[in-house]
Amino acid sequence: MNALVASIHHLFVPRHTNNFKAKLLHHDFLTIYLACALMITAGVSHLQSTQGSILGYATDISPQKLIELTNRERESQGLGTLKKNDKLAVAAQKKAENMFEKDYWSHYGPAGETPWQFILSSGYQYEYAGENLAKNFLFSDGVVSAWMDSPTHRDNMLRKEYTDVGFAVANGVLNGEETTLVVQMFGTPLYPTTEAKNNNDAQPQEAAAPNSAPAKVPQTAVLSEGNTAQTSFYPIFLNVNLIFFSVLILALLLDFYFAAKLNLIHIKGKNLIHILFVSSITIGTFLVIKGSIL
Amino acid sequence: MKLLKHIQKEFKKNPFDYLLFVTVCVFFILALNIFQGERLVEFIIILAFVSFYIIWGIYHHVIENSLHLKVVLEYVLIGFTILFLVKILVMP
Repeated sequence: MNALVASIHHLFVPRHTNNFKAKLLHHDFLTIYLACALMITAGVSHLQSTQGSILGYATDISPQKLIELTNRERESQGLGTLKKNDKLAVAAQKKAENMFEKDYWSHYGPAGETPWQFILSSGYQYEYAGENLAKNFLFSDGVVSAWMDSPTHRDNMLRKEYTDVGFAVANGVLNGEETTLVVQMFGTPLYPTTEAKNNNDAQPQEAAAPNSAPAKVPQTAVLSEGNTAQTSFYPIFLNVNLIFFSVLILALLLDFYFAAKLNLIHIKGKNLIHILFVSSITIGTFLVIKGSIL
Repeated sequence: MKLLKHIQKEFKKNPFDYLLFVTVCVFFILALNIFQGERLVEFIIILAFVSFYIIWGIYHHVIENSLHLKVVLEYVLIGFTILFLVKILVMP
């Protein structure tokens, strides 16, 4: 027990065993941190080149999770839950593909494409329809929280008329940078009974008839698999980062405190500035994991 | 108490340096907030902030006549470690 306490003191508190500077802040330890960071960066680049674009996009977003979170928000407001609609999901997927293809970040395309065209072309006849967009978020809950924080998106999510929803999470290059787009399409069928019937019939029809846009179905499935693979890496990496920043700040604070208390004079950087720097980067990390919505 | 006095003493010695750093920290956070979701811009902002941190360190220690290779190395090691870690999140 005493050995453990002594080790912790050695790592965090300036004392004679560490030449009166927290061991975690010695140059050898700082070099190890840099080497680890470089190895992780190289590892991620290697995975990217060997596994295609699976790790090329830092996201942990899945349509299933988005539906759950959307319905949770609606339930909390006393509204009915939305049903997952395959046609709306196809419309959302087409919209995302169109955005990448024509390189725009807007509800309306450069050639005048509207969200409603994608919905109608997927075979969904709507009475009410809506669309929310998001890009470059890391987590599903971040997307839904950002939409809920924006009055217009919130109104869309909590509109009582909607009964169906479809999501697409697509990766591609937008404005020259790797981007993860989330498209959320809402709808209320024009003829509820017919739509419900069509929906029930949709899956066997798609499975039986290869002409009914079969490419979209496997494509959506691949994206979902990609997201599952990412789940294990990015949240863990983010947590490791935050723990590392916290430990570094703690070591700097303790070193700063004891150096002031013991009137230590050292040739070293300014701990106060290191603390401000790491704290600002930590706040920045929280901003970075949030994307933008439209 | 002694810690506060120490901080005050530090600030009084070079108020301009510290005010400059705090101002840049505020602008850094504001810039990331404004350009949320623009990954390339976010990375450029972070890179600029890390560069400023290293340059600030060298400048401050030159002013204080305490510049040493070990000091520069400390700023460079901390700055680049954090840059690489955050880069994976911004531009994997």
